[in-house]
Amino acid sequence: MNIFLVIGMGAVVGFLSGMFGVGGGFLMTPLLIFIGVPPAVAVATESNEITAASVSGVLAHWRRQGVDVKMGVVLIIGGAVGSFFGAQLFTYLRALGQVDLMISLAYVLFLGSVGGLMFWESVRAMIRQYKGIVPVPRSREERHKAWIHALPLKMRFRKSRLYISVLLPLSIGMFVGVLSAIMGVGGGFIMVPAMIYLLGMPTNVVIGTSLFQIIFVTALTTIFHSVNTQTVDIFLAVLLLFGAVIGAQFGAGMGLKLKAEQLRALLAALVLVVCVKMALGLVLEPVELYSVTDAVAVGGH
Amino acid sequence: MRALCMMLLIVFGANLAPAYALVTDLSNKRIEIRYSFNGADLILFGAIGSSAVDPTRDDFDVVIVVRGPEAATVVRQKEKVGLIWINNQELLFPSAPGYYAVAASRPLSEIATKPVFESYGIGFDYLPLLAHTERGLAEPKAGFRKALFRLQSAQGLYRQEQDDVTHVGEGLFKTDIRLPANVPVGDFIVETFIFQKGTIKARNRIMLNVDKEGFERAAYDYAHDYPFWYGITAVLVALSAGWLAGVLGKK
Repeated sequence: MNIFLVIGMGAVVGFLSGMFGVGGGFLMTPLLIFIGVPPAVAVATESNEITAASVSGVLAHWRRQGVDVKMGVVLIIGGAVGSFFGAQLFTYLRALGQVDLMISLAYVLFLGSVGGLMFWESVRAMIRQYKGIVPVPRSREERHKAWIHALPLKMRFRKSRLYISVLLPLSIGMFVGVLSAIMGVGGGFIMVPAMIYLLGMPTNVVIGTSLFQIIFVTALTTIFHSVNTQTVDIFLAVLLLFGAVIGAQFGAGMGLKLKAEQLRALLAALVLVVCVKMALGLVLEPVELYSVTDAVAVGGH
Repeated sequence: MRALCMMLLIVFGANLAPAYALVTDLSNKRIEIRYSFNGADLILFGAIGSSAVDPTRDDFDVVIVVRGPEAATVVRQKEKVGLIWINNQELLFPSAPGYYAVAASRPLSEIATKPVFESYGIGFDYLPLLAHTERGLAEPKAGFRKALFRLQSAQGLYRQEQDDVTHVGEGLFKTDIRLPANVPVGDFIVETFIFQKGTIKARNRIMLNVDKEGFERAAYDYAHDYPFWYGITAVLVALSAGWLAGVLGKK
């Protein structure tokens, strides 16, 4: 594999993730697959890179007290369970030859829905701004649905100023853990909206706590994939990170020049492009109907 | 009596085994794969001495077959199920060569007839290749076999009618063996066949070894022998690299 191509890809994705403030796993994993890295290796290796990227990202949030450690730990416990089952599912489907299908379906489903929602929301915000409508801000209590408060096993999270059932963050963590293992993403694109809209966490701790839990969940995912399928390539992960760190510096500068809604609309468009690319791969008749894989790598038949 | 036996043995031995003076050698018998490995080109040299194949008397043809280590290989076929295309059928070849290249001094069809190649299993069409089917090990469906050769050829792993064997001088020939970047590791067999007037007159085989070296070897062994500790190492590397990046990025 060409080292400079890999570093260059890291830089491009790093630039975008720095600009939009996202992890970039959802871009990097499809890109790796696109340049010919086997999907299983792409997913497992990208988990490893995200661990590193999240560590560098969380430091800044940690310094300004933007991490709710208690909430993070609960999310990690859920995430560990989810990641374990996700990795088992991954190994099983890989042996059946269906892991590529699962990765594509997961991307189409989650990127499609998140990208669609984000795009709609940001376009609506831009139209409102153009017309001069100021939306009435709703309080946290209003956004918080009644059924959430009816759940048992309540726990206090001081930093997030929340008193909610521990089951909710546990299940969110578990869900994102599964996604992390099967898609090679950190899962921030699901975790962040879930924290804001479902848990009702204040925005100043959302990103930091999300990054904090991503470190641990992707670290576990890396270990699970190493044990199950030996598909983690440390060297590839380090090269990607090297490119990403450089790219992110430039991306962050660019991000400051754009408005929040514009950024979100652009990001949504990017997410939708990846989603459509994946969907076309599923729906269009492939030029080559056959594929060849090494049977030893899937643990024998 | 004993001497007669010896004599017979020598005479027959020489006739049975095509022990004509055929000598081949490679420019490099041990290929090392490192992370930046972009493939390798080897040169195979061969010479025929004055023997039953007298190069000065008759033209001769050379066919060189390089076979890589065999591995269980799965070929899958996509079919449309509902809206989407999914892998719906699969066939396992328990021992498909990981690399297979045929180089010849002329197009194979001009060198000998099909039955000759078939009896020696030379070439894409005649390489013996069985698959697991409902009836046990058997000839695979033609589509799957063709797909295997097509896809491996696209990867540069299977080659035929692409490399020429050139005659350098009287009885002397050479060819290039191209190993792509994704070549599998293991022992390779390089077989040389000398044809004259459509029949095989001599053959020999030499070995070639491809192996991961240095960092690549160490990482590969570590990942497969101690997968848990490999995972832990990957995480530790990521944590320290990420921390370093965060600290440097702040400045």
